[in-house]
Amino acid sequence: MKRLWKYSALILTALFANPLFAQTAQEGGEKAAETVHALPPTVMVLPFVLLLLMIATGPLFYHRFWEKHYPKISILLGIIPVVYYIAVLKNTHILLHTLAEYISFIALLGSLFVASGGILININKKSTPLANVVMLLFGAVLSNILGTTGASMVLIRPYIKLNRDRIKPYHVIFFIFLISNIGGALTPIGDPPLFLGFLKGIDFFWFIEHIWHIWLPAVLMVLAVFYVIDSQNMPKDVDVKEYDGKIEFKGTKNVFYLVVIVVSVFLDPNVISWVPSLEPLPFGIREIIMFAVIFLSYKRADKEILEANEFEFEPIREVAYLFVGIFATMIPALQLIAHEANVLGNKLNAGVFYWATGGLSGFLDNTPTFVNFLSAAMGKYNLDVTQTAQVHQFQILDPLYLTAISVGAVFFGALTYIGNGPNFMVKSITERSGIKMPSFFTYFVKYAIPILIPIFAIIWLVFFYGRG
Amino acid sequence: MKTLNEVLENKDYGLYFGNRILLPFKCHVLKAIFENEIVDDFSSSLEGASYKIEDEFTEIYYHEVKFLTDVVSKYKGIKLIVVEKGNDVFDFNNHRKIRLLLDDDHKLRIEEITEDELFFE
Repeated sequence: MKRLWKYSALILTALFANPLFAQTAQEGGEKAAETVHALPPTVMVLPFVLLLLMIATGPLFYHRFWEKHYPKISILLGIIPVVYYIAVLKNTHILLHTLAEYISFIALLGSLFVASGGILININKKSTPLANVVMLLFGAVLSNILGTTGASMVLIRPYIKLNRDRIKPYHVIFFIFLISNIGGALTPIGDPPLFLGFLKGIDFFWFIEHIWHIWLPAVLMVLAVFYVIDSQNMPKDVDVKEYDGKIEFKGTKNVFYLVVIVVSVFLDPNVISWVPSLEPLPFGIREIIMFAVIFLSYKRADKEILEANEFEFEPIREVAYLFVGIFATMIPALQLIAHEANVLGNKLNAGVFYWATGGLSGFLDNTPTFVNFLSAAMGKYNLDVTQTAQVHQFQILDPLYLTAISVGAVFFGALTYIGNGPNFMVKSITERSGIKMPSFFTYFVKYAIPILIPIFAIIWLVFFYGRG
Repeated sequence: MKTLNEVLENKDYGLYFGNRILLPFKCHVLKAIFENEIVDDFSSSLEGASYKIEDEFTEIYYHEVKFLTDVVSKYKGIKLIVVEKGNDVFDFNNHRKIRLLLDDDHKLRIEEITEDELFFE
């Protein structure tokens, strides 16, 4: 019976892979074309596992080799499932769908990265624990508008400058906790996993509606710990240096570009009906606007600001290359996890999803982790993560699981330097300014475990324990 | 022998070959940042970095790599805190922050780091 189903599915997917039939399928209902896909063998998950392991270990243990070869490695590993889906499964529909998601993803990250790179803020105020708390809280909110990457890029230098007379590694570590990670849990722009969730069908405002009551205590708890530590480290001697209290802002025109990016996020035919779809092209009006912003904001940026920010394309180039591989290798993993969740799903509660998504997000990239666990949770209801309508259905059907997965993916990214893209960027900018940062293990053992794990455990006890 | 001020004013170039840097003035190096590696220990000539003041130039070796171009990106360059030879090392006013950018043909562009940029001692 199983074999018969597989053969039927193969024939059907081959038919729907044909452009003519694919078109008919779209007209007749996307659902039919997608739910009959044949499953890839388990071995096809290996490129995904290998790539994630290399992303985690490469920068730490063999960084010279990794820096030189990661584009080739990512693309080569990505080609394996692509070839398999084309040649064996004859399923090009899922590949095109994934390509469209990838382009949207890179367009958003790239445009936020370039536009925020042209902004320079100078703060001439005295560094006090309260001033730092205000700035960290402001950054946590801002990361929902500029993304954790954009907010980190814009604020890390003024934050270091604010603390220039007494800067310590813990200042930067709390910045990573709050602005590069936890802060961005309220909107799809905030953190890449949530944006991918949005692209897959979750409403833009679903996150703020369902997560704010978890976000707020989490942010306040981290800030409270910071305030205590910073107060204890505040020099006792009287500071004779004078501050004029001025906040200088350079690169105002880039704020306009950031507004354009944020507005363009909504320019999706699935969100606003009058927005034209450019199908069969794998991008839309939104992506065209975002790529235009990348070009214009870089070309018209003040060169002095770019130099002061030590702006370069390498970080976003790295993201672009790595995510080619991640998006491609993730396809079989997503299908298999969703399938397995049908069997195991009922044994897993929301708390398990919270810790499992979070635990893996701390060490692997949180975007694929989020999508895989979303796929697993949806599998419980026989829903398919590659179907926009079904993802939308899931957000209504089981908000608790989606909340647990979203919170886990975003919050736990702060556990290590490799948990989220901006973490390494902030570390790198800090070290370029002459401040030695803790090693990977010191960060994890001395800061992340004692500070974050108890806070995450409280979140679990209050919001997820014994539920779902 | 030129001073650092003269080199900056005239926009004179230094040189780089492999992992070796030649600065066209005499100076003590207090701190160096190669990409993200902070070096403030110049005591060993086998690892990290070392420098030597010659009659006509100052040379710095970065022993961690064979070629500086492998680790130093074109736009970020190398950051140094230096004190010109003959000046009081213990006077912070004599600590100069400069950036070295790797141009083509082994040319090393030397720029003073502005107040807008972050570079802590």
